[in-house]
Amino acid sequence: MADAAELDLIENGTLADYAIQSQPNAFYAALRHGDPVHHDPKLDSWLITRHEDIAFVQSDPITFSVNKGYHTQQARGMQAEYQEILRTEGGGYFPDAIMSDPPYHTRIRKLMESAFTAHRVKDLEPRITAVVSELLDSVADKGTANAVKDIAVPLTIRVIVEQLGLDHGMENKISRWSVAVTAQIGRMQDREQMLENARQICDLQHYLIGKMKEREANPGEDMISDIVHAELPNPDGTTDKLTFAEAVSLIRAMLIAGNDTTATAIGNLFFLMATRPEIADKLKEVAEDDRKLSRFVEELMRIEPPVRALSRMATKEVVIGGTTVPEGAHLLLVYGSGNDDETVFPDPRSFDIERPNLGRHVAFGGGPHRCVGLALARMEVKVMAREIVRRLDGIKLAIPVEDIRYVPTVATRTIESLPITFTRRAT
Amino acid sequence: MGSLTVTMTDVNGEIRSFSDVDEGLNLMEVAKARGVEGIFGDCGGGCSCATCHVYVAAEWMAKVGEPDDIEFGMLDMVSDVQRENSRLSCQIKMSADLDGISVTVAPASSY
Repeated sequence: MADAAELDLIENGTLADYAIQSQPNAFYAALRHGDPVHHDPKLDSWLITRHEDIAFVQSDPITFSVNKGYHTQQARGMQAEYQEILRTEGGGYFPDAIMSDPPYHTRIRKLMESAFTAHRVKDLEPRITAVVSELLDSVADKGTANAVKDIAVPLTIRVIVEQLGLDHGMENKISRWSVAVTAQIGRMQDREQMLENARQICDLQHYLIGKMKEREANPGEDMISDIVHAELPNPDGTTDKLTFAEAVSLIRAMLIAGNDTTATAIGNLFFLMATRPEIADKLKEVAEDDRKLSRFVEELMRIEPPVRALSRMATKEVVIGGTTVPEGAHLLLVYGSGNDDETVFPDPRSFDIERPNLGRHVAFGGGPHRCVGLALARMEVKVMAREIVRRLDGIKLAIPVEDIRYVPTVATRTIESLPITFTRRAT
Repeated sequence: MGSLTVTMTDVNGEIRSFSDVDEGLNLMEVAKARGVEGIFGDCGGGCSCATCHVYVAAEWMAKVGEPDDIEFGMLDMVSDVQRENSRLSCQIKMSADLDGISVTVAPASSY
């Protein structure tokens, strides 16, 4: 049951409030205890906050549509104008083919799955290690760095740029594009920001379309070539090609979806190491033990999930955890709350890599829409964690903790900028 | 239609037996195509999620073999329900050698 303070939060709080977005756990707990399927009037979205209710919604992709949920959330309130800008200035408005419903989704998803299996990602480990090492070595002797801008963001962009066969040296541009795409489901942009973001996305699309044309003519060993030449099998043995719109949307998704989110996870890793000595000590203890290091990464995902909440839409009136939501209701599955649910993860704010049910966390979602790039994300974070221990020591915040700003958005919980100090570890 | 036989005990204890399984499919794909309760295969067979966890019948364990390090790492994330004979069914590919194999769907990790 919710106490008086929690009742006040339920009554007056909203996930549209920056203060709650940046420090959300008390709000989540209040909702789980007092109104676990909660209509947030400011967002006009239902917040699904208990672990079991999130799992229930994820398990039924027909009743709970990602296609309608995601595309309703996109540029919400300014949709017509947003889409028109992409049509007239960006080469087209391309709905996200992966943000769709079965059975269509099943076919599209299969294409993406083969690119990101754990075994394929394992083959990338040496290359990821080289990129991480280079980034950390470039700052190690300086004693200061911005963990987000100098380390986390460049890493995730360099890795995906290599996989897609894109050009190096475009980190800043790709980072801006990522922010622009992610802002479309963040619900916090005003019209002026939407216009600027839409133009960034136009720029992104023109760049990708140019690359696709190159690979159509001259295929290479990269994922863009794989997508533009992909064949989708039919039950009768024939195959279909992706449409141009589908192909653009999938390549855009591959470039953007894993950047901000994985970089956010690495920013959180640095933040926790700088602010919770027991976590920094734990990492030092486990860094050379592969099994324990994997558990460390998974507990990091649980305790600070980069993606806060993603969308569904109820395609009919339905009862979720005892609450009836109407047909057409927009839902946010609040992963940050599901991972903090004390009925599933006892003492949820304690960092415990020995949790016996670690695999139940919902940082990557679940069900048929579970994050398709999860193995790559885990690998990038794991290699970073290991190489930090090998190179850096005494990581501390270079600014007061209360000065740390989070990106204003309902979709992720992302530290904007993280100045830190450290020493190079004596070898 | 193939001719291999697979027996799966689903998460509710119901025994499902199929005698027309194609060679080359993995057991997660077999289970999903035939609606075996408790097998989800969220990640699509990428060895990345532990939602297709099964216990291999003792007499089949030698033929099926131990999980590799990557698979073991995923099984370790559900250590409360992990056993000696745990495997991810997406990593068990059907072949003549495995004709007649029997597995039991593992319960979900606990709350």
